[in-house]
Amino acid sequence: MKNTLSIIAVLIFFSTTLFAQGFNVKASGEQTFNFADRGGRNQATFFSTTPLEDINGLTNDVKGMVTFNVNDLKTLKGKISVSVASIKTGIDLRDEHLRSPDWLNAAANPEITFTIKNVGDVKAVEDNKIEAKVTGDITINGVTKEVTSDATLTFLDESEMTKSRAPGDLLGVQAKFKVRLSEFGVKNKIVGQKVAEVVEVGVNMVGSNAN
Amino acid sequence: MNKNQKIILIVAFSIIAAILIYWQTQGGDILTKTQVQVEKVDELFNTTYMEWEDKFVLGLDYAGAASAVTAVLSGILIFLFRNKKKEKQ
Repeated sequence: MKNTLSIIAVLIFFSTTLFAQGFNVKASGEQTFNFADRGGRNQATFFSTTPLEDINGLTNDVKGMVTFNVNDLKTLKGKISVSVASIKTGIDLRDEHLRSPDWLNAAANPEITFTIKNVGDVKAVEDNKIEAKVTGDITINGVTKEVTSDATLTFLDESEMTKSRAPGDLLGVQAKFKVRLSEFGVKNKIVGQKVAEVVEVGVNMVGSNAN
Repeated sequence: MNKNQKIILIVAFSIIAAILIYWQTQGGDILTKTQVQVEKVDELFNTTYMEWEDKFVLGLDYAGAASAVTAVLSGILIFLFRNKKKEKQ
């Protein structure tokens, strides 16, 4: 009898942790999170290398919306966009090159967008934290390609602490993926330096489900 | 090389050495930066994020240019002092 109970307990543990597909939080049902950033906290970063030095780019102009059933992350849909003109690397001349037609062509393609298509490998790390692989279409320099990102999503029920950031429940998203410059028609030279073909991109943002 | 020329040479070397030492202590970057990224902690989500902070970081472009200007000026001064000496002789 004792062994049977132990087996049941283990099965319950595994079914609620390993096979969980959603958050175990107060909120339930379909929720829409808006990543409209009031405090300049949301950000997209990129990291690249040249033979002479590393390049770290950063922008806080990240916005978008996602909708999903809190209990089933695989229902996640939405779109995130980044303003090209807002990307900074710490050197004005390099930023100008970044916005030029040879690179991201900010005049013709003012935004980089990521449209979520599906979610896989969902793994509940904690009741309110999930790791997953999010696949979507990314459009850079007017070219659209499919990429898969490693994402960590953290759900915070509304509390006195979260209210200081924004009203409503909060969803924190950290995602990382890599893009090959040649696939997006980007010439990998900047201020005379040859930039690595593969660029690491990161997104770190917080959204709220309050209207 | 007369005394004045030696002084100019020592001063020029000192200035160039100071520029290059300062450049190295700033990180030895190739290009001068006006902003740097600093890591911040988001205590609500227990994660880190980056923020821009206004800071002048000397790069080899400006350090090299300053060193070159110093070398050229000191060369001109050394040349002028040599001419004066020759005229006196």
